[in-house]
Amino acid sequence: MDGLTPFLQNLSGGLLIGGIYALIGVGLSLIFGVMRVINFAHGDFVAIGMYTAMVLFRQLGVDPYLALVIALPAGVIVGALVQRVVLARLVDSPGDSTLLATLGLSLVIANTLFLLFGAEPQSIFLPYATTTVTLAGIRLPVTQLIAGGLTLAIIVGLWFLLNRTEMGRAVRATAQNRLGAELVGVNTRSVHALVFGVGMALAMAAGIVLAPLLFAIPTVGSSYTLKAFVVTVLGGLGSIPGAIGGGLLLGVVEFMGASYLSSGYRDAYGLFAFVIILLLRPEGLFGRSAKRV
Amino acid sequence: MKRVIAVISVLVSALSASVALAQDTVKIGVITSITGRFAEFGEMHQAGIQAALEDVNAAGGVNGVPVEVVMEDDTSEGNAALAAAERLVNQGIPLVLGAYSSSITNPIAQYFTRQERPFLVFTSSDDAITRPGSAWIYRINQPSYAYAEVLFNVFDEINAQKGAGTLSTIVTIHGNGAFESAVADAVDLLASERGYVVLDRQDYDQSGADFRPILNRFSGLDPDVVFMVSYAADSVALARQIQEVGLDAKVFAGGAAGFALPGFIEGAGPATEYVYTATMWTADVPYPGAVELNDRLTAILGRTPSYHAAQAYAGIITAVDVLERAASDSPADIQAALAATDMPDTVYGPIAFADYQGYQNQAPLPAVAQQVQNGEFVTVYVNGQTLNSMLDTPSWDDR
Repeated sequence: MDGLTPFLQNLSGGLLIGGIYALIGVGLSLIFGVMRVINFAHGDFVAIGMYTAMVLFRQLGVDPYLALVIALPAGVIVGALVQRVVLARLVDSPGDSTLLATLGLSLVIANTLFLLFGAEPQSIFLPYATTTVTLAGIRLPVTQLIAGGLTLAIIVGLWFLLNRTEMGRAVRATAQNRLGAELVGVNTRSVHALVFGVGMALAMAAGIVLAPLLFAIPTVGSSYTLKAFVVTVLGGLGSIPGAIGGGLLLGVVEFMGASYLSSGYRDAYGLFAFVIILLLRPEGLFGRSAKRV
Repeated sequence: MKRVIAVISVLVSALSASVALAQDTVKIGVITSITGRFAEFGEMHQAGIQAALEDVNAAGGVNGVPVEVVMEDDTSEGNAALAAAERLVNQGIPLVLGAYSSSITNPIAQYFTRQERPFLVFTSSDDAITRPGSAWIYRINQPSYAYAEVLFNVFDEINAQKGAGTLSTIVTIHGNGAFESAVADAVDLLASERGYVVLDRQDYDQSGADFRPILNRFSGLDPDVVFMVSYAADSVALARQIQEVGLDAKVFAGGAAGFALPGFIEGAGPATEYVYTATMWTADVPYPGAVELNDRLTAILGRTPSYHAAQAYAGIITAVDVLERAASDSPADIQAALAATDMPDTVYGPIAFADYQGYQNQAPLPAVAQQVQNGEFVTVYVNGQTLNSMLDTPSWDDR
């Protein structure tokens, strides 16, 4: 086998997994952009998605990708409820309060999953899990292709929601100036609840598409929270296109590093790229730079 | 009157003492993973212990006193295992056995050495447990070197059948835990001793499950043998992803652990076909009662047992034999009885502890090799002999 095919295989693998990272990062970026909340429970929402897919598959035989139809609306509702019950009370409090609240939420979710499912790694084995499509010598796993396709569809749907609907206009207005949005009649409390719900649904969607690719453990969330931060900061905090670019970059850097350097430092490559980009462009790859006076 | 009261007191004391003695049991401590990521292996241990207890108690226990196992869950974590070891020592249990993972057993073994109390290992395989080991640590099961050695015997056998050089290059992927690293070290050593070339060796973090980048890298190296050392979930993920990326090799070899579990075939399905795995015991081993024990363990578990169940069985029967021969419950007497162990006809093979090749208090038992054929483990190599034919591994495109 020549060297180009493994390279292209790695590149496609990195882009496909990077797309899922983007989905996670977009949710975190949306929540931060609109609510100014750093959500430490975001990775745990990914874990909830993985276990939701697992339960629906094992108990009801629902294909994990079809589980999105159930999980996406459920994620929006549960996320909105969490925002109303926990975060809405802390809207005007110092930033640390919401940060600690989401950190507490993360611990509650991880330990609840531990109690419900135990610590053993669990995975879903789909009948078509090892089916691949060969394109110019590159083997593309069907599961990864479906994951990539769904990720793209969800991100396009989110773009449409934010840019082509009245609801999206209200979200963007709240993100730009909450007080101003309230003055023109936007119910920012509802917008916050909706945004947190959408953020949770996006993270759950990422968890669902990851479930057939990886195995789930209750503490998997912390690793995805870290990745989500890297993705959003790489792309520029609060920027959705930035989160998409950051996700793809992280996926490719991790995949290439693990393949061509040493696999034991896979997570470290993403963090290394993160530090380099912060040193060169503190506002992130796609963030707007503040004028220095 | 005082004399009458004294006599009655003595009689009552004697009676209660004899009742207590009659109800008493000989306790053996076992530390294993009942919960956590190694729980599947702990389940196998529990089945083996149950079968062994039935047998030893039916045969009269320890000198007529029933045997009881005090089982402690290490939750698949080293710290919990150390706490469990302390609890068992504080209860005065004369002999403790354990545990599953070498990463857990290593610190426990050091603890028992510091406490100068005997500890009997029946599953953990890291060479370092008994090489150099200590005077207080004894191990029944095969060390990690044996896991790699039996698979190299298979490679040599394939080369003998198909022509020298059929298999010459190896890539290794392994978890970064103590056991997996020890087997990978043994692969490096055996390869250099027997004239194979290790093209690449990659480890991965135990929480990782995306092996695709490593497998793509291996694809570019075009190896004859892919040698894998992983626990339960990792082995399933590896087999699936090897098929996904289309990594071809003449031999896929799994260094026991996850690859020898029935869950490996159940979890990864057809992707496991033709995979060789080292194992420490099967129903085909030439030891008395192996088939019967396998049937009993299958009945207890409701599915095919892995070798870990037989190891737990061997651990308990060895502990009972030691306690029967020990002059007292003191650590020194138990240690002396362990050293004098000579059980030539156990279902797990001849058990006696020896010092050899740098090992101390290690039972020198060979490993066994299996191959997945038509969705089942088939024993192909036992004690230096080919038992069943070994099937060639076709490329993924030809399957």
